[in-house]
Amino acid sequence: MELTDADLIARVLADDDQHAFGELVRRHQSSVRGLLRQLTRNDMQLADDLAQDAFVRAYKNIRSFRGEAKFSTWLYRIAYNCFRENARKRKELVGINEEQWQAEQDPHTIDPGLRHDLMHALSLLPLHERSAVLLCCQNGLSHQEASRVLDIPLGTVKTNVLRGREKLKKTLSAWAT
Amino acid sequence: MSTEIQDDWLDQKLQEAAPYIEDDGFTVRVLRQLGQPERQVEFLRSFILVAMSALASALTYVLSDGGRFILVEMFRLTTIPTVWVVAFALASGMLVMAGGIFAAMYKTHQIQS
Repeated sequence: MELTDADLIARVLADDDQHAFGELVRRHQSSVRGLLRQLTRNDMQLADDLAQDAFVRAYKNIRSFRGEAKFSTWLYRIAYNCFRENARKRKELVGINEEQWQAEQDPHTIDPGLRHDLMHALSLLPLHERSAVLLCCQNGLSHQEASRVLDIPLGTVKTNVLRGREKLKKTLSAWAT
Repeated sequence: MSTEIQDDWLDQKLQEAAPYIEDDGFTVRVLRQLGQPERQVEFLRSFILVAMSALASALTYVLSDGGRFILVEMFRLTTIPTVWVVAFALASGMLVMAGGIFAAMYKTHQIQS
């Protein structure tokens, strides 16, 4: 039987079991790295460095995880904080590496043209709207969970998701025929 | 599909546009950065403390002429009036109790927050 996140966290807390933490990393690495890639406008190296930093911080602070939220929500919050700190240091984010991005996509799930337009439209959104849309629409977090991750009021999250969605719809209107 | 994009359609496309990212050694790199497990570090810390204490005790014993100062202090203690001993014991007890209450209150506050 596969262990739940809670079981693995309990092992880390009780025995400082790094193998258990490794399993948590394996389970969540894709979503955390994916979120950071989108936030950094697809700077994969930077996104992976931030993801590593986020997981190391999560390990060091795992005793502060009280289980009120999902482990993934807690991880997103740490990852988002890493991103914000780094963005503050760098002041500007690097450009989109479109070729590498395209090479990683699975051509059978979504029209490449639509994906290109969607990613481009997403990258044009201001950071506060992009973060809210990514968390709620792409990663399936509730508004409440996103509000915890982004550390902003619930109403602001709703507004940002709404505005972000409207802008995406407007940009992608040609695909609605 | 209608000419207006629906929320569900947009969310679905956003989810489809986020492919699964293969691990490719990412987990190993994270685990390498974690360092030694806390228990090993704690054991090492305890070992160093015990070893240093033993060494310090041995040095003190040798330098104090076989611990003669302890005998002198013990003798001095027997000459202290009983009232003073009782007062000292009471004060020590109160001090330990205050420390315990403070620690319990701090822990309770930590758990509640």
